[in-house]
Amino acid sequence: MVKVANQDNNVRIRPKEEFNFFQDKRVRSVFYQLLTAGTVGWLLWYLASNTTQNLALRGMNTGFGFLDSVAGFDTDFKLIEYTPGVGTYLDIFMIGAINTLLISFVAIILSTILGFFVGILRLSKNWLVAKVALAFVEVFRNTPLLIQIVFWFIGIFSLLPVVKKTIDLSFGSEMLLLNNRGLYFSTPIFGDLFWLTALALLTALVGVFFLRRRARKLQNESGAQTKILLPSLALIILLPSFTFFITGMPLAWDIPTLQGFNFVGGASLPPSFLALLVSLSIYHAAQIAEAVRAGILSVNRGQTEAALAIGLKPGKVTSLVVVPQAMPAIVPPIISNWMDTVKNSSLAVAIGYNDIVSLFMQTTLNQIGHAVEIVAITMAFYMTISLIISGLLNIYNKRVQLVER
Amino acid sequence: MTIVRAQKTPDRTPPLSETSILGWMQKNLFSSFFNSILTIITLYIVYITVSGIYIWGIADATFVAENRRECYNNSLTGACWAGVIDWFDNIFYGRYPREEIWRVNFGGLLLVLWMAPLWISKVKGKIFIGISVILFYPFLAGYLFSGGEKGLFMQVMVSGAIIAFIANMLNVLTSRIKGQSLSKFLISLFRQSNASDKSQRNLILGVLVISFAAVFFWQTGWSLEGVVWTKWGGMFLTLVISGVGIAASMPLGVFLALGRQSKLPVVKVLSTSFIEVFRSVPLITVLFMATTMFPLFMPEGFVLNKLVQVILAIILFNACYMAENVRAGLQAIPKGQSEGAHTIGLSYWGTMGLIIMPQALKHMIPNIVGNFIGLLKNTTLVSIIGLFDILGMLRSISKDAPWIGLHKEPLIFGAIIFFIVCFSMSKYSRHLEVKLSAGNKH
Repeated sequence: MVKVANQDNNVRIRPKEEFNFFQDKRVRSVFYQLLTAGTVGWLLWYLASNTTQNLALRGMNTGFGFLDSVAGFDTDFKLIEYTPGVGTYLDIFMIGAINTLLISFVAIILSTILGFFVGILRLSKNWLVAKVALAFVEVFRNTPLLIQIVFWFIGIFSLLPVVKKTIDLSFGSEMLLLNNRGLYFSTPIFGDLFWLTALALLTALVGVFFLRRRARKLQNESGAQTKILLPSLALIILLPSFTFFITGMPLAWDIPTLQGFNFVGGASLPPSFLALLVSLSIYHAAQIAEAVRAGILSVNRGQTEAALAIGLKPGKVTSLVVVPQAMPAIVPPIISNWMDTVKNSSLAVAIGYNDIVSLFMQTTLNQIGHAVEIVAITMAFYMTISLIISGLLNIYNKRVQLVER
Repeated sequence: MTIVRAQKTPDRTPPLSETSILGWMQKNLFSSFFNSILTIITLYIVYITVSGIYIWGIADATFVAENRRECYNNSLTGACWAGVIDWFDNIFYGRYPREEIWRVNFGGLLLVLWMAPLWISKVKGKIFIGISVILFYPFLAGYLFSGGEKGLFMQVMVSGAIIAFIANMLNVLTSRIKGQSLSKFLISLFRQSNASDKSQRNLILGVLVISFAAVFFWQTGWSLEGVVWTKWGGMFLTLVISGVGIAASMPLGVFLALGRQSKLPVVKVLSTSFIEVFRSVPLITVLFMATTMFPLFMPEGFVLNKLVQVILAIILFNACYMAENVRAGLQAIPKGQSEGAHTIGLSYWGTMGLIIMPQALKHMIPNIVGNFIGLLKNTTLVSIIGLFDILGMLRSISKDAPWIGLHKEPLIFGAIIFFIVCFSMSKYSRHLEVKLSAGNKH
């Protein structure tokens, strides 16, 4: 028979805790926190009071009003309308911010593509190819980025032929020209009916999407694989080009032409942009290559062997079995690498590319002071970007975690 | 009837495809049609690159010349290394007075000698070596490099450093020859091995005090000529900045990491936001902040020189990355360790200092080496704000009258130096990682 313990007999007398003010956990925790907060607060107050005193002593005014005052200097490279003597320092900030975002965006895309390529070559079964990829990675990873940037700028892009001896990269059509003043390229001029071609392209893309969905559904139901590559390609190429010709080719090119000592027409990128782009892309490609390699190696070898055993072709093994499993290990380091790319684009200041640091933190600060405000604005800019990028990372991690079993 | 061989049949030689070079090539270079084409294309690219570099950098290069014109006269297509060779001292020491360069070299040698015992087996008391190098070496080196009048504090630290160094060297000798640490050796020398702990301690203290007094009086007799920090430069300055940066950011990083893991919300929020702010902005903005805002932060009449501003900025910046390394190291320690430490009644600092940190630090060493490589490369950024570190020196060659316009060769030379240093360090850290992880798989 089971005896049910009598509740009353089982009551224990809790030892009475003596309240000791100095030994109490909560008191101590509050005390330490007050101490830390106090120290930090005092330090901040001390620095702030020194700063206001110094500013007053030097007769410098403070506040963000300077953003509305007129800036007197010109910038080499800008994507928005700005005239020196008319535009404000806010415009200067915008130009710098847009230039930073532009170079980072293009460099991120190039470095990711190149990085994946090199990372896969690193794992090639071809000994020579693997070693060459290894050499590429080690050389560019172990030399300072700043030396690379300066080298590409002074050693390569500034030593290109002069304007008169421009190199034509587009085989004589003058669409893409390279000289020591930068890269000149033609810009499209869209005609009235060009939107129809764009619409046709969009329709084709939607069509391909549905084709793919139907093919996958068919495969899930019957196991039969339908070949959709050729029809999709045909749809994407034929439909827009047909529309394009029927509407009478409503597209012209603004080709850069030599007038006097410089090129007119089209658009151009300065050598500093090209140097920064090339060095950032290569440097970060080397880092991404290592991430890709590590990610692919982290997939258990048994996965590959099993996939080969059920008769998948080597290409399918990589694309259907290895890469999907490697992705969770590859993507986070790549995204943090993107953040580094944005941060490293600030080295533009060394070669005079007009990014936010060189335009705003250097030129503007030298011209009108306001050190505290300018440093705060610039740092806030970078913090916002890194918040956005780490937000991306968090979204990805959440999605991956949901899939995980 | 059965036939049984009495002797063992001789081993057949392995197939040719496994042992010969041809077999290896067939397997690794020409395994398929596609692979063969890939090999040939790659070979061609390698040949173009290597031969191009060889012709430009060695075959057609000029090594001895007075100025750039002479280089051109010698060959138009080759590198002009003469300019780099002419600037060798500048690249490594900046404008440090030439007759005082021995001090820089001596300082470097001291560091190597001081640290070397850490890698020698059977040396006792390695922890003391590590602590003494962090505690005393910076002052000794600082005085060696900058010279001038010694204040009382500097005199004490320099004497302490000299004693610590001598003790370190003697300790290596006694541990290698007698197999006992220096203090044990001293005790046995005075035949006090069986004496009480207290009298042993007094003996050691007495020896320390006497030797300290002797060294202290000896060092009052000499002083070094002062060298202003503006004369520092080149690789020397790069190493000073990154060395101080890594040494000072380590303790700061440990505190920030502990703060981030703290259960006290105020401490946690403050450390986390400090770390995240500095990690999300580029180093160059922090350097600009240091040079433009630090002067405003200081009380009136107090001026920090640029080198100190830069070093402070680099310490703050690097400490945040170090904190993340430390945090990763802390997370690798199983929770049972801290629970066990609590059970035997250790306080928070006891747990951290005696149980968690020693284990976590071991995990962190490869990461710390990686961090140092990154810091060393990042230190080149100080050239942007006008310090003449190695990159600053390399870039000023092209502004020197005889070598005007010589850009490529100095930069490539700098890249080679960095490559050698960083590559060997990263190889070493990878080796350490393998060694340490092997030690953990009991």
